[in-house]
Amino acid sequence: MALNFVSGRTGAFDWLFQRISGVVLALILGLHFIILHLISGGEYEYEVIMTRLANPSWKVFYFCFLFFALYHAMNGAKILIDDYIHHPRLRTLLLSLDWLLAIVLFLYGTLIILMHQAPAVKG
Amino acid sequence: MGKVTFTILRFDPEKDKKPHYQDYEVEIRRPGMMVLDGLNQIRWEQDGTLAYRRSCREGVCGSDALNINGVNRLGCITHLEDLKTPVVIQPLPSMPLIKDLIVDLNDFQDKFFLCKPFLIPKKPLPDLEQLQSPEDRRKLDGLYECILCASCSSSCPSYWADPEYLGPSALLNIWRFVVDSRDVGADERLQLLNDRHGVWRCHTILNCIEACPKGLNPTQAIGGLKKALVSAKF
Ligand code: SF4
Repeated sequence: MALNFVSGRTGAFDWLFQRISGVVLALILGLHFIILHLISGGEYEYEVIMTRLANPSWKVFYFCFLFFALYHAMNGAKILIDDYIHHPRLRTLLLSLDWLLAIVLFLYGTLIILMHQAPAVKG
Repeated sequence: MGKVTFTILRFDPEKDKKPHYQDYEVEIRRPGMMVLDGLNQIRWEQDGTLAYRRSCREGVCGSDALNINGVNRLGCITHLEDLKTPVVIQPLPSMPLIKDLIVDLNDFQDKFFLCKPFLIPKKPLPDLEQLQSPEDRRKLDGLYECILCASCSSSCPSYWADPEYLGPSALLNIWRFVVDSRDVGADERLQLLNDRHGVWRCHTILNCIEACPKGLNPTQAIGGLKKALVSAKF
């Protein structure tokens, strides 16, 4: 039985950061939930949310949310691919797609967060 | 004292294209009969072509691990009266089938030997025996008792999915030497399993714990290995 030593990344990093990102996500999600549903009392109006998103601290908060959620999902999919796909070329293809999708979604999400401006006050 | 139906998976590579099930009636002749007693009764009195492995018949050799009513257990220490009927007996899942209840364990054993399952002692060797404190000796409890029956590995979905995954049994046996105070081979052993087919395929599904007839906890051993690898790296 030949063990595969070719990959520089063995799985220790994936394993540890899947756990770390999971814990961070639980905290961020909890906070997000409390703010959205409890503190703002279920006000989902465009202005309310836009005003919040225009605040730089909230931008950082949602940037972290985006980063950890995407990392956790991308890494989860990578682990699934590692579990079930053993054909080397198919594996490389799927792992590349996994990364590509995560990067595209990350850039798109970042753009949305950065571009938010406070809505013009209605006159 | 009544009868129990055994539904047994049969496969003769010389005659059958694919496996099929066959029913047998086993007579309960005394209290406390085990599944292996039933299999012996069938083979000795009804159908001499039934093939299965057995040896010590007391849960020590690990030869007669079988899938009994969907759970991997040793036939020789599984009481018939504890089982629902009919008793469905199949070979260990995911292992290549040779005949009837006999599977090919070569790959399973190769993975065990890959772990260097022997003491790698400090050099120079002491003149007399290598001493170990009672506390250090106690760390081996729950690890050294493995009888290599393959119940755990063949119950593990990660083992089914990845034919090269070392599996809970081999990993428990590596951990047994890594925690041994007399052994200095931890680094070379840990190297072997910090790999895509090593410890990282374990997702704590916990089937191995349920399957182990010796009450061992391979998942915990794998947890120890993961921690050792992560702390060596970060
Ligand atoms: S750990 Fe338990 S189930 Fe696995 S091979 Fe050893 S004795 Fe059998």
